[in-house]
Amino acid sequence: MKVTIGLEIHVQMSEAGSKLFCNCKANYRGLDVNTNVCPVCLGLPGALPVVSRRSVELALATALALKCEIPKFIVFTRKHYFYPDLPKNYQISMFERAGGVPICRNGVISFLDPSTWEWKTCRIRRINIEEDPGRTVYEEGGITGSPYALVDYNRSGVPLLEIVTEPDIRTPRDARLLVEHLLLMLEYLGVTNPRLEGVFRVDANISVNGGERVEVKNIGSTLDVEKALNYEILRQTKIREAGGLIERETRHWDAMRGVTRPLRHKEYEEEYLYFPDPDLPPIAITGEMLEKAMGMAAKADLRALLGELLKLNVPPEHAWSLLTTRPSLELFRKTVSLGGDPQLTARILAVDYKGELREQGKDPYDPSNWPPPETVLELVKLTISGVYTYDTIKGLVIPALASNPQARLETILPERASDIDVAVEEVLREEVKAVRDYLQGKTQALNYLVGRVIKKIGRKAVDPRVIREALEKRIKSAMGAGG
Amino acid sequence: MRRLKQAWELARDFREGVEDPVEHAYKVLEAISRWEGVVNAYISLESPDLVVEEAERVARGIRAGERVGKLAGLLVSVKDNICTSFLPTTAGSRMLDPYIPPFNATVVERLLGEDAIIIGKTNLDEFAMGSTTELSAFGPTRNPWDPERVPGGSSGGSAASLAYGGSDLSLGSDTGGSARLPAAYTATVGFKPTYGLVSRYGLIPYGNSLEQISPMARSVRDVALLLDVIGGWDPLDATSLRVDKPRTFTASKADPRRVTICIVKELAEGADEVIERAYWRILKRLESEGVELREEELPIASKALPAYYTIAFAEASSNLARYDGVFYPMKGGGSSWEEDVELARMKGFGREVKKRILMGVYALSEGYRDEYYVAATKIRRVLRDEVLRITRNCIIASQASPILPPRLGERLDDPLKLYAMDVYTVIANLAGVPALVQPIEFHNGLPIGIQWMGKPLGEEELVSLGLLVEELTGLAGVVVD
Repeated sequence: MKVTIGLEIHVQMSEAGSKLFCNCKANYRGLDVNTNVCPVCLGLPGALPVVSRRSVELALATALALKCEIPKFIVFTRKHYFYPDLPKNYQISMFERAGGVPICRNGVISFLDPSTWEWKTCRIRRINIEEDPGRTVYEEGGITGSPYALVDYNRSGVPLLEIVTEPDIRTPRDARLLVEHLLLMLEYLGVTNPRLEGVFRVDANISVNGGERVEVKNIGSTLDVEKALNYEILRQTKIREAGGLIERETRHWDAMRGVTRPLRHKEYEEEYLYFPDPDLPPIAITGEMLEKAMGMAAKADLRALLGELLKLNVPPEHAWSLLTTRPSLELFRKTVSLGGDPQLTARILAVDYKGELREQGKDPYDPSNWPPPETVLELVKLTISGVYTYDTIKGLVIPALASNPQARLETILPERASDIDVAVEEVLREEVKAVRDYLQGKTQALNYLVGRVIKKIGRKAVDPRVIREALEKRIKSAMGAGG
Repeated sequence: MRRLKQAWELARDFREGVEDPVEHAYKVLEAISRWEGVVNAYISLESPDLVVEEAERVARGIRAGERVGKLAGLLVSVKDNICTSFLPTTAGSRMLDPYIPPFNATVVERLLGEDAIIIGKTNLDEFAMGSTTELSAFGPTRNPWDPERVPGGSSGGSAASLAYGGSDLSLGSDTGGSARLPAAYTATVGFKPTYGLVSRYGLIPYGNSLEQISPMARSVRDVALLLDVIGGWDPLDATSLRVDKPRTFTASKADPRRVTICIVKELAEGADEVIERAYWRILKRLESEGVELREEELPIASKALPAYYTIAFAEASSNLARYDGVFYPMKGGGSSWEEDVELARMKGFGREVKKRILMGVYALSEGYRDEYYVAATKIRRVLRDEVLRITRNCIIASQASPILPPRLGERLDDPLKLYAMDVYTVIANLAGVPALVQPIEFHNGLPIGIQWMGKPLGEEELVSLGLLVEELTGLAGVVVD
């Protein structure tokens, strides 16, 4: 079966600071309804758009990271359609014809398949910078049944990247991997925070065995990209097996029910009346802008970043885990630069600490959930010098640290063998009766002795099993010596 | 006909304590109550009490020796497509009746910063689409020089308010001659600046790439004063030029021996005979003073009008898409959103506006865009290059209007004739160059104007020439009796 998939990915530049054409906030989450607005993003007559420099810089860095052809200047176009959440009834966007000039044409994305460690590529047709519309909320009954709609314009004017690929993708899984990879890259570029609610949307075009192209709109998560496309392949295959014909159409992904539904027939091209926005003169892409964007793009070269880790003999699974959790990569780099062993550092961070954060329900993408590099370095040193086994670090220290990353290490480290020995010695001297009971076969007496040792050591974290072992060993050896 | 003190002289006399701003305010308010019933220059007026209060505040400030702004005590009228947060802004349309913007246009902020008193909002053709000010939802404005005739448009309210003494200065807007044609019809001065010299922030858009807010007044020195206040870079307008504030007020009268005027055949011909005679009379007069007259050609001028209307309508159709009954006063009252939009637009827009939207949509449609919109932008580029070439070495003398002010209703029936009234003025908008219209004569009590077109940012030269011409005509400060 031959499957052809092309994607249109809309990503908010949530980290751009301001909206695309005014000073309202780019990240509107948590704000009261219709408070993140001004005359410009409400499209009031006479208010004029002024392009945010930061948005252009971020888009340019993205275009360079995707190896695009960069134009000498960019031109915004108006795209007209009537909709209640679009206050001007046109969207300021880009278009490759009618005088418009998008920020990128003819790029390419390389994305990793982390199960085979194979790099795949897909051509990028173009990237547009455009403004997000407001958000329409329907009452009971949804888009068709609701007696009215409410519109929140907090989102109106938020900068978006529209990234359009060529139909080079062969499987739904690859489509998901591509989107995941792209989002990760955009995170490294400082363009977006992929984990924010509603920060990206994917429309997918899919054609099965040379059939008509079907567009699936409104896919809101990377997992759903794969699900929706798998559903479409199944649906289209069934229709054809039953002798039916696939029509060119636009369908809507219903994530709740896991199905696509018909939206409208695409019998003719929509009429958008594109023309260059006369309020926005062409913006020249200067050498200075390119230089800055290149610096930003270099920091988001995931293939190079992975290569850097592999060169340190970090196993690829650990390396990829570090890469996909940005705070852990930063922490890895700092720890290694302080002298930490790369492989052990990677194992601690990428496998066990990250796993423990998930176990505790903590967000691994929040840097404040990670300890300082000095603490990690100390763990590495203690393991290598043999003071503790890795099992002790993993089983005792990491969980304690994950629940309090800023804790001083000495407050959570288990007692070392020597400290335990001293305490055991003292307890055996003091608790003659209990020792005698134990020797006479009352095994619960040992539990009592363990408790006494723990109490003597104080409130420090200590593994009771270790104490039990030390007690047994000591009593046995005393018996042997006595005779 | 009588002559009033020029606004800049008045402002100076207020500051020197020679004239009383309060007394002056009463005089202007009197003129308004005498003329408004006939002329209908204003859509909304500031309350007279407030105007007098403001004048008193200025007078007190001056008496107390405080520093006051350049426009302190002057009564400025503002075209009703320029946003004011303290007076409704309707753009002459039912769609925006009554809309009070939550912000002031940059030019309004600058007026207030110089202590101007904004006396009211002037009438215009709906959304500035027209050449006669008959196409307002608030009724036509009449020409004070002959109330049977139109004052020109679309800034006819501004021009008329000046012509009867109902304001000292006025802000119009000029997309294809909308400030200059009314100036020619009312013996006032209209000055369209270089594109980008004056911020458009707060100007309700019609043809964004063409229009500029334009000073209007009864003398050349007065429009220069106003231009200096409102001009200069504005970070809120991406098309505003990063240049210093203009300094045209201090320009001196041109030395005729150092002025070269180009007679561009295509812009000199085609007007009614009385107008052509007046045109040549003033040019010969200037020549006798030592001005050099040179001939030039601009063959592409014949394509200017269709190119202008194609671009303006295309931009208009886009700009006016936002009026859908959601935010603005005119509501559709339909049973669905789609019906709401249709009804609001059906009820809110007048015929001319609807016509222009339809033609603009057509010009931008897939399959027609290249033939119309794109072709028009190409003509525009060629024309602009030609105008820049000519104005590099001379100031272009052109007619302002091919006809004397027409009677109300006279031109409305024939849209092509109506549009042709703009034939001489659209060139400056297409090319983005400054252009000044000033009165040169009266014919049977009706004013005739002339237009000067300069190079980009050549405002000062135009003011200098205007001062020279004004000295020859003696028509500074004229108002009706």
